[in-house]
Amino acid sequence: MSKPAALIIGGGIAGIQAALDIADAGFKAYLVEREPSIGGRMAQLDKTFPTLDCSSCILTPKMVDVGRHSNIELMTYCEVVSVEKEEDIFRARVRQKPRYVDMDRCTGCGLCALACRRKDRILHEFDEGIAKRSSIYVPFPQAVPLKYTIDPEACLYLTRGKCGNTFLCKDACPADAIDFEQQETFVDLEVDAVIIATGFDLMDPTLKPEFGYGVYPEVMTGIQFERLSSASGPTMGKILVNGKEPKDVVFIKCVGSRDPHTGVPYCSRVCCMYTAKHAHLVRDRIPDANITVFYIDVRAFGKGYEEFYDRVKHERVRYRRGEPSEVYRRGDRLVVLAEDTMLGRPVEVEADLVVLATAVVPRGDTADVAELLGLERSPDGFFQEANVHLRPVDTVVEGIYLAGCNQSPKDIPDTVAQAKAAAASAMRVLARRRRQST
Amino acid sequence: MESKPRIGVYICHCGVNISATVDVEQVAEFAATLPNVVVSRDYLYMCSDPGQGLIQEDIETYDLNRVVVASCSPRMHEPTFQGAAQQAGMNPYLVEMANIREQCSWVHSDRERATEKAKWLVASVVAKAAELSPLEEREVDVTPGSVVVGGGVAGMAAALDVADAGFPVYLVEKSERLGGRLAELNRTFPTLEPVADLIGPLIERVQTHPAITLFLNAQVTNVEGYVGNFKVKVTGQEGERQVEVGSIIIATGYDLFDPQRKPELGYEYPNVITSLEMEQRLFDGDLAVNGREPQRVTFIQCVGSRDVQVGNPYCSRVCCMYTAKQASLVKDILPNADVTVLYMDVRTFGKGAEEFYDEARAKGVRYRKGNVSEIYRRGERVVLSGEDTLLGQPFDWETDLVVLAVGMESRADISELSTMLKLPRSADGFFLELHPKLRPVDTAVNGVFLAGCCQGPKDIPDTVAQAKAAASSALIPLLKGTVPVESATAVVDADLCAGCGMCVDVCPYGAPALDLLWGVSKINAVLCKGCGACATACPSKAINLQHFTPEQILAQVDALVG
Repeated sequence: MSKPAALIIGGGIAGIQAALDIADAGFKAYLVEREPSIGGRMAQLDKTFPTLDCSSCILTPKMVDVGRHSNIELMTYCEVVSVEKEEDIFRARVRQKPRYVDMDRCTGCGLCALACRRKDRILHEFDEGIAKRSSIYVPFPQAVPLKYTIDPEACLYLTRGKCGNTFLCKDACPADAIDFEQQETFVDLEVDAVIIATGFDLMDPTLKPEFGYGVYPEVMTGIQFERLSSASGPTMGKILVNGKEPKDVVFIKCVGSRDPHTGVPYCSRVCCMYTAKHAHLVRDRIPDANITVFYIDVRAFGKGYEEFYDRVKHERVRYRRGEPSEVYRRGDRLVVLAEDTMLGRPVEVEADLVVLATAVVPRGDTADVAELLGLERSPDGFFQEANVHLRPVDTVVEGIYLAGCNQSPKDIPDTVAQAKAAAASAMRVLARRRRQST
Repeated sequence: MESKPRIGVYICHCGVNISATVDVEQVAEFAATLPNVVVSRDYLYMCSDPGQGLIQEDIETYDLNRVVVASCSPRMHEPTFQGAAQQAGMNPYLVEMANIREQCSWVHSDRERATEKAKWLVASVVAKAAELSPLEEREVDVTPGSVVVGGGVAGMAAALDVADAGFPVYLVEKSERLGGRLAELNRTFPTLEPVADLIGPLIERVQTHPAITLFLNAQVTNVEGYVGNFKVKVTGQEGERQVEVGSIIIATGYDLFDPQRKPELGYEYPNVITSLEMEQRLFDGDLAVNGREPQRVTFIQCVGSRDVQVGNPYCSRVCCMYTAKQASLVKDILPNADVTVLYMDVRTFGKGAEEFYDEARAKGVRYRKGNVSEIYRRGERVVLSGEDTLLGQPFDWETDLVVLAVGMESRADISELSTMLKLPRSADGFFLELHPKLRPVDTAVNGVFLAGCCQGPKDIPDTVAQAKAAASSALIPLLKGTVPVESATAVVDADLCAGCGMCVDVCPYGAPALDLLWGVSKINAVLCKGCGACATACPSKAINLQHFTPEQILAQVDALVG
C-alpha cells in the first residue's frame, strides 16, 4: 500500500509551509508550482514588517528544506490540468511544461543567460518589470530548483525558428543541458487530500488612471518598490527614480481597496503595514527625504504592528488622512492632489516618487480552479471556506482545503497559520488513511 | 575517527552578498594552503543543489573526512550542509561552517581587509575541523497524545484536530464549562450568526469524542519532560492525575481590559457599560436605561487599546468589528435612536468586514473620528466631553447609553504557566511565538505550541486557523512517532567529578542530576540541549560539551592568534 499523500497546488509560502508540515508528519506531499521556482510573492519582498527581517533570508531556508525533503516531490513549471474525485481518492493530472533545459544536467551556472542573444531585453517578471533578463533565465538567484528555463514566448528560436547561425546558449552551456526537443509531459497522481495555495493577484493600477501609472515613470506599485529597495534587486537596494534619489516621496494607500467602484469593496489587509515599512525604508536610505502617506484609516492590527506604526510616525513620516484624487505633472516633478480630511481642504504635495498600494485581488484563474475542483467563491471573488468561523480552511468538498490569500487577503503570519491549519485538516484524512491501510 | 583529517573547504559567493566585499577566489586559494586541506573551491551558491552536489562529489573523489563551508550563519544553512554530507556517507558532525557573510562581508566595506578577515575566519574553522569527532544522531520514541490547556474555541478546535487524527487528547479547562469567552457572546461578526448555534455543536463534539478526556475545574500544575515525552500533572476537584503525552497546546485565552483603570470614562455610572455587558443586553433584547429606551447610544472604541498610558500600545484587533456589529444591531432594535461610534481608525480588515462596516453606515450608524477626554453625569444622561479630530473642534455630547469597547490583555495568571513551562512572553505580555513571521504557533520550548489569543488578540476565524495550526505542529511528532534529540550534549567524566552539584543548579533544562550512589553528576542526554552552561560552571573541569571541547575551541583560538 502506498504512503498516504497530499497534493499542494501553489509553491508560495502557504504551499511551502503546508507541504513541510505534511511531509514532516511522515506523509507524501506533491508540491506543484506553475513558475520555474517556488517562493511566490514572499520571495519578491525586501524586508518584512514589523521586525524588518530580510524576507528571502527567512524564506530561502524553507525553500531549501522543501527541495531536499525526502517526503516532498517538488514539481515546478507544472500545472494541474484535471482533478477527479473517486470516493476518497483524488486523481490529478499534472502537465510538466517544457523547460527546454535538462534538469538533471543543468548546474545553474548561468553562462547560458549571459550568452543569450536577447540578454537584458526581456521584461523581468520577478522584478516586476523594473529590470530585464534573457530568454533563458532563473527567476531569482536563490531559486529552488536552481535550474534554468527557456521562456518560449521570448526565445528567438522557439518563436521564429532561428537564432542567428548558432544557438548561443547551447554553445555556452558546459553541461550540454539545453534541449530544444523537449516536449510537455503529463504525470498522473493519486492523493488523499488536496490543498489549494494559489495566492493572489495585485490590481492593475491603470484601473485608477487618475494616478498616472504607466504614464509617469515616477509612479510605481508597492511590489515594484519592494524590488527597488531589495538588496538583491536591480538597483542593489538603492532607491533611485530616473537615476536620482527622490527627495519627496508620496505613498497612496487603498488604491482600489475599500472602493466599490473598482469592484474591491474590501480591505486588502496588508497595505497599511507594508506602506509603513516602505516609509521606514525610504527614511533609512534617504535621511532627508520628505515622506507623506495618504490614508483613510491606519490599520495596524497585528502583533507589534501598532508599535511599528508609532515608530514610523516618529521617523518624520507625515501621515495625512485623505484620498488623493489625481497625480499630474508640473515641470519636472509630480503633484499629488488630495483632500486632507483633517484639515478639511484640498492640498497639493509635490513628489519625485509616488508609490501606489494596490489592492489584493483574486487570481485571474480563480473561476477556472473553482470549476476544476468544484469549489465555491465568496462575493469578493476569493474561494469560499466551509464555515466562516469554525472551518476557515475547509471547503465544501471533503478532502480539499484552502491555504493563504486565495481565501482572502492576509499577511505572512496569518498565511502561515492558515497553511498549517490546512495541513492539520489534511492530516486528519491522511492519518485515517494510514490507519485503514495498516 | 583516528585517520588523518582530509578537509574540503568551500567558499560561497552568496551571489554578490559575499563576493562584492570579499575576494572569494583569494580566500579559496589561501584555504588550499592550510594544514590538512585536500581540496578548496569557491562557488556562486554553495547552498544550491549543484553547490551541495559539488561537496558530495568531492567527499567521494577525495575521500574527505571533514567539510568546512564558509558562507552565511550556521543558523541558516548548517542543516543544509550537514544533510548533504550525510547523504554522501559522512557523519554530519564532521561539517563546520565559517560565517563570512553576517560576520564579515555584510558588516565591512574595505574589500582588502574584509578578505583578510575572511581568511582568518576560515583558518580558525579549518583548525577546529581537524579536531572534530563524529557524533551519533539519536531519536527517541514519542508518547502518542496531546495535552490542550484551555477549553475555549481555540482549545476545542485544536483538540478536535489532534483527536480526529487518532490520538488521545487531555483537555484541561480551569472553569466548570467549555466555550470560554466565545460562550459569553451573542452573535458573530460579520455574519450575525447566533453564537449558540456555532458553539453548541462544537462543545457537543468535544464532549462526545472518544479520544478526548475532559478535565473541568482543573489546572495543569506541573510539567516535566521534553518534546515527545511530557509528564503533565493535572490538579482538579477529583485530585491529581498525571498524563503522559508527546506535545502540549496552550490555549489559555485573554482577559478584557478593566475600564476602571480609566476613571475618566465614568464606568461607575449605570449608563456606561462595557462591550461584553452589551453582548448580554443584546442577547436579552433589553437596551433600557433607567427603565426607558435610549434615544442616543454612543460607542467608544480603543478603550485600553492603542493606549501607551495604560501600558497597552497595541491594537486589540476585534473591537472595531464587534462595535460595528453591536451598533448595527442596536440600530435594528431602535431605528429612531442616534447611534454613534467614536473611533481613532476603523480597522475592518477581515473577510466581509469592510462590507459590513459600509452596511452599518448605510443603515444610519454614525461614525465620528474623535477622542473622549471625560464622561460625566448630567441628570439621567451622561455627557461625553472630547474632540472631533476631523472638525478640529471640541464637543460635549449628551447620551443615554455609552458602550466602552474594551480591549484584550494577556491573562492575569499568564506568568504561572510562563514560569512552569519556561515560555517567554513578548513586550505586550502575551506568549511569544518562535518567529513573528514563519513560526507563529511554535514556541522556544520544543513540543509546546500556542493557539488563539494567548499569543495576541484575534477574531474567531483567525483563532480557529491558529488553533488548527498549533494542532498541525503538535501532530507532527505524534504522527512521525519519533523525535530527534540533540547529539552535541554535555558528558561528565566521573573520575574528575567531585559531586558539588553546581551543574545541577545552572542547568535551565534539568538535565544533570547527582547519582546518590556514586556521588557524581550524570547528565540526561535527552534533556540536554547542549548549551554548555554546566561545562563552564564545573570547577573540576569534569564536564565536556561534545562538539565544543576545549581542544576544538583552543585549536580555533590558536589559529586566530597564533
